[in-house]
Amino acid sequence: MSMEKELIRHLLKKPITLRYPFEKLPPVKGLRGKHVWDSERCVGCGLCATDCPAFAIEMIGKGLTAELKIYLGRCLFCGQCEEGCPRDAIRLTQLYELAESDRKNLILEFKRESI
Amino acid sequence: MVQEAIISLLQIVIFPGFLFLILAAFFYEWVDRKIVARLQNRYGPLHTGPKGLLQPFADFLKLLSKEDIIPYATDKLFFSAVPVFMLSLPLTALFCIPIINSTALISFEGDLILVIFITTLIVISVFIGAWASTNRFSTVGGMRACLQMLGYEIPLTIALVGPAIVAKTLSISKIVQWQTTGLWFILTQPLGFIIVTICFLAELQKIPFDIPRAETEVVAGWLTEFGGKKLALLRLAEDLELVLAGSIMASLYLGGPSGFGFMSPFVWFIIKLTICILILSNLRALFARFRIDQLMRGVWKYLTPLALLQIILVELIPW
Amino acid sequence: MSSIIKIPFGPQHPAFKEPENFMFKVDGEYVVDVTPRIGYAHRGIEKALEARTYILDLYLIERICGICSHAHTTCYTQAVEEALKVDVPPRAKYIRTIVTELERIHNHYFWLGIVAHEIGFETLFMYTWRDREIVMDLLELLSGNRVQYAMNMIGGVRRDITPEISSEIMKGVKVLGERMKYYKKTCSNERTILIRSVNVGILKTKDAIALCAVGPTVRASNVKRDVRADDPYAAYDEIPFHVVTYDGCDVASRIATRCDEVVESVEIIRYALEHLPTGSIEVIVSRLVPPAEIVSRVEAPRGENIHYLRSNGTDKPARYKVRAPTLANLTALCKMLIGGYIADIPVVIAGIDPCFCCMDRLTFVNIKNDKTWAWEGEKLRGYGIKWYKKQ
Repeated sequence: MSMEKELIRHLLKKPITLRYPFEKLPPVKGLRGKHVWDSERCVGCGLCATDCPAFAIEMIGKGLTAELKIYLGRCLFCGQCEEGCPRDAIRLTQLYELAESDRKNLILEFKRESI
Repeated sequence: MVQEAIISLLQIVIFPGFLFLILAAFFYEWVDRKIVARLQNRYGPLHTGPKGLLQPFADFLKLLSKEDIIPYATDKLFFSAVPVFMLSLPLTALFCIPIINSTALISFEGDLILVIFITTLIVISVFIGAWASTNRFSTVGGMRACLQMLGYEIPLTIALVGPAIVAKTLSISKIVQWQTTGLWFILTQPLGFIIVTICFLAELQKIPFDIPRAETEVVAGWLTEFGGKKLALLRLAEDLELVLAGSIMASLYLGGPSGFGFMSPFVWFIIKLTICILILSNLRALFARFRIDQLMRGVWKYLTPLALLQIILVELIPW
Repeated sequence: MSSIIKIPFGPQHPAFKEPENFMFKVDGEYVVDVTPRIGYAHRGIEKALEARTYILDLYLIERICGICSHAHTTCYTQAVEEALKVDVPPRAKYIRTIVTELERIHNHYFWLGIVAHEIGFETLFMYTWRDREIVMDLLELLSGNRVQYAMNMIGGVRRDITPEISSEIMKGVKVLGERMKYYKKTCSNERTILIRSVNVGILKTKDAIALCAVGPTVRASNVKRDVRADDPYAAYDEIPFHVVTYDGCDVASRIATRCDEVVESVEIIRYALEHLPTGSIEVIVSRLVPPAEIVSRVEAPRGENIHYLRSNGTDKPARYKVRAPTLANLTALCKMLIGGYIADIPVVIAGIDPCFCCMDRLTFVNIKNDKTWAWEGEKLRGYGIKWYKKQ
């Protein structure tokens, strides 16, 4: 019977459930979400592709003309690519609602704009 | 004569008969789930219907539409008959409880004994259901259910006889009528009310007397093999048992549909029934589950002597 | 003539969250004998570790278990750093300690909810898992993810603790400490919990030492065994704390041990945040690890976690072995179950905080004559070569 006071107290409180997707918490600053790539800074060293634990990053080409293809379906969102990049060219943003109904939409292709 | 027959037919089928009782069963399942959820700081049913009111009905419809699997080794006749028994027994008992005024649809001298007998028949249906399922988990669950429910019948019966002794009648309707002139029995027999609450928790197999239905030990107890339409009927039968338990508590101890005058008796009955069901739901959220040997020790060492004590007090103290 | 029937608590059972087979021999309601069989969640992690470089292995090790992921990576990075003969900066050690203790708090709240669910106390289950959200939000603030935080890297930690994060953590752990004190009071006063947990699952002190139990299971049997105190790693040699022991030897003592450990963890986190040294949080290390044989151990929330590493100068490990704490508690668990009721089985099994996915290793069983044996590395390799030749 010792929890009775606590139970009655909860009758007057608002329920703690978050009614997602009608109520959402704001994402925290360091959330590991979708990738963005800065083509100006990338030098094509290939460390992100070598060090990805899930083999989700594919580097097409070499050097300053390299382009990236990221398979979001395989990605662990571990952040090793962001950590290991010597030029801070690849970063993880706060976008976390990444569900798609077609697997083709899960492949991110980052291309360089031709000058 | 024909007009009376038509009115009786409408009363039995619609109000306060089948349709009303089934709707009341759905409504009180919603009340139970919502209150337990709010005590646990969460929402409960929310989206189906306004504030989730239609959730029990939606569950019922969903179960009706599922495939009905009858395993090969079961006793097919009894396996299919048990849900029908379990549904019709509480409905029959509920006809003996006065709802709209102080005379029930069926009222004769001795209908209290009929209602108690029907609760025993419910136990036997549970046992037949468990036995006919021929599943290891059903057998263990069925044995536990019978031990528990038969054991807790005894203090229940003894305590329920208390109001009958004072009102000098064995008819629920007459006990309710007695309470309009005398004191409500909860004030003169509070010990009996507490015993009846505990025993009804055991009859309804709710926590802390959840052992036959303990999900973490036997998968679902005696309900394991039932699925589809049969499970829908069994769940409706459980809700009807909840309404039956609340109605008996409200009629015998809280005075039934008699009130203080300014509202119709039916509204008073609904208020008292809701209070009794809220008490049962609160107790459901408050405790952990007892083990089977602790259950049996509880009923034989504590509850039955207390119920006998209550009867002795009723005889000694002239209210 | 006694009627002993065999009941399998099979791989699929509502009482377990992970697949595990226990074959019980029961006589009425008493358990007479129990035989465990493991191996249902074997994923071949130790072999996969040998095929990947050290940096890729870090993330595989993290995913051995979802709840004690930081403990596994701490053990791994300690082993590799010792093989590389580098020393991590003090600030990194303190941050590792803070995340370890936050994970311990998370695990104990999770566990309390599971035990409450097993004994049928749904309300306590809902309350503890609601409070668990606080610590998960703190970990998300600190590292970016609610589970599998990836805070460790070889050579330090990945993210720093800013003053805002520090004050949020202080506020959060204060609430957590007070809630845990309330739950401990409830669990020791609520009669229905007491009758299900006192004198249930007894493990006497000499049995606990003889069967090599680890973690809070053995500390609830009055044995003062804690890797943080016996063999300090990370920042534990500089932070004062108490090792919590109780002498009830039953499930109620285990509940009390873990509740007190949460309160201790809150104090450790506060001390560490107030005395956080300045400096860098990582050192750059080389990718090739010189040949060495290292054993490293940490105190995971469930017990003592041992990793063994053999490196050979390349950038991939030659052999890596993981011994998770539940494997050590398994024989003690069988001892606890014998002599109890069937109805106590889920409570006792949940009481040692099982994590069967951490602990599965491969063993061979011959069903016909009931023999079991294990294979060594050369035999496994030989079998692999023969199989490939047949293709």
